[in-house]
Amino acid sequence: MTEIAMQMFGADVLKLRKKRGMLIWALVLALGPVIVFLTVKVIQHSSNPQKYEPAGGTPGFSDGLRVLALFFGPLAAILVGVEAGTGDVAAGVFRDLLVTGRSRVALFASRVPAALAVCWTVVLSAFLLLVAGVYAFASNLPTPDTTLLLDGLGFILLATGVVCVVAVGFASLTTSKPASITALIGWQLVASPLIAQISSLGGARKALLSQAIGHFSPVHVGDRGGAVSMSLGTGLVVLVAWLVVFLALGAWRTRTMDA
Amino acid sequence: MASAEPAIETIGLTKRFPLRGGRGERTALAGIDLKVPRGCAFGFLGPNGAGKTTMIRTLLGLTHASAGSMYVLGHPVPAERAQALERVGAIVEEPRFHPHLSGRENLRVVAAVRGPETAARIAPALQRVGLSERADEKVKSYSMGMRQRLGVARCLLADPLLLILDEPTNGLDPGGIQEFREMIRALVDQEGRTVFLSSHLLDEVEKTCDAAAIVDRGKLVTQGPIAEISRGGDGARNELIVVVDDVELALRTLADSELVHEARRSDEGLLIVLEGEPDTAADVNATLVRAGVGVRRLEPVRHSLEQRFLEVTARLDQAPQEVGA
Repeated sequence: MTEIAMQMFGADVLKLRKKRGMLIWALVLALGPVIVFLTVKVIQHSSNPQKYEPAGGTPGFSDGLRVLALFFGPLAAILVGVEAGTGDVAAGVFRDLLVTGRSRVALFASRVPAALAVCWTVVLSAFLLLVAGVYAFASNLPTPDTTLLLDGLGFILLATGVVCVVAVGFASLTTSKPASITALIGWQLVASPLIAQISSLGGARKALLSQAIGHFSPVHVGDRGGAVSMSLGTGLVVLVAWLVVFLALGAWRTRTMDA
Repeated sequence: MASAEPAIETIGLTKRFPLRGGRGERTALAGIDLKVPRGCAFGFLGPNGAGKTTMIRTLLGLTHASAGSMYVLGHPVPAERAQALERVGAIVEEPRFHPHLSGRENLRVVAAVRGPETAARIAPALQRVGLSERADEKVKSYSMGMRQRLGVARCLLADPLLLILDEPTNGLDPGGIQEFREMIRALVDQEGRTVFLSSHLLDEVEKTCDAAAIVDRGKLVTQGPIAEISRGGDGARNELIVVVDDVELALRTLADSELVHEARRSDEGLLIVLEGEPDTAADVNATLVRAGVGVRRLEPVRHSLEQRFLEVTARLDQAPQEVGA
């Protein structure tokens, strides 16, 4: 990256990390479920060890990874991505950045790595908490090996990273924070799982982002959202298509909008 | 880039906005031909809705022109927009910032976008506008006056040859307005920068600017030095108020004089419209004295920009409306 690109990245990270409200909510969404998940399982196990297995170990890691990568991590990613996509316009600063003569596409482009950096910092902290809990509360269960840990880390970064980038593009397209958050969370939590359950749609369901992401999970994702099977190539194509479409739309809007 | 080139030049600049529901277009700027010389404070004067902000937004490439051409610091816009804006600082409408960041952090954001060398200008810019001590407070705690000053500091990050300020004294108290005026004059007089200042406040432009243009309903009505505009342009009349002891004799004397275009009674005495330049006033005085008229007072009529502004905008009120609502 050139020096100016690095500076712009640093500035965009600054804007995001100083947005305390958004950051706290993202941390709550990422860390909170891990804490709740581990706490509940620890209490269950301590109250009835015969019925409930320990909170940690490989089973706990698998469950926690699903919770984090497929449910709450993407919600945190949406908050960060939407803030990155709409922050300048919402504050009325976008025109002041344009007045510098810097290209609109460059201004859009610098939002993406900054959003990813903040999103992944939040998600990584939740992942580390999960790993710590999985080892601390493993009891007699086997613990995840390094390969599974790295696969899990890669999966969680992929799942949240893709959603975050899509959120940046979508929010840059709408330029409205409330509309973007509502639409993206609604899609992620409600519309997408519902569509995945409509079996008559057949292979068309492979185009759902959540289905494509689930394909890369190192642990069994279960039947959440219908679990449509697809090849690795198809999964990659779907992910890339979502990224390209929403990045292109966000860049187009940023380039053409009146400021 | 030759410094003789105007800071801003527009030729036939036109901006039309489509009306909602496909009901035609509204013309916000109608063929504006404007030349802003370098090294002066230039007022862009017009009533609310005249097209001032649209003009600035178009110049800065924030919106596209519908027709015409424009040059900023000698660079055609939008073709060479990046080079044109490299040494331009601008506040469009009110200065806006990220409220959750401090003043200094807001400048850091803009400095990062401007280029690596810009960060070194943050501290001097804050110092220049008197915000050094409160630069680390969040902008949401700033008063309007502080935001305006921070806006100017943001402009100074570009080490600007040209500052474009849109209604810069909006929301300022009288003390703040005075401070702002002094700052603008210092930027022009001491630092040799050009300031293009849009305003609907005649007094502000008259007191701050060297030259001005008046725009109304998207049309440029007049432009030039303030004094010339106030008089009514190149062909404007030079007028005198003369108080004499014998009005009838004075009127008869002046009726035959080649120096005088017209002489008539007024509330203050005699109003004399000169044929030539103001320096012929002394000759008029001599003519009257030679004719035996006692001259008690003789002074040039001071035309105000306000008077001229009201004249030209009233003229447009009476004209058929060719430009959109």
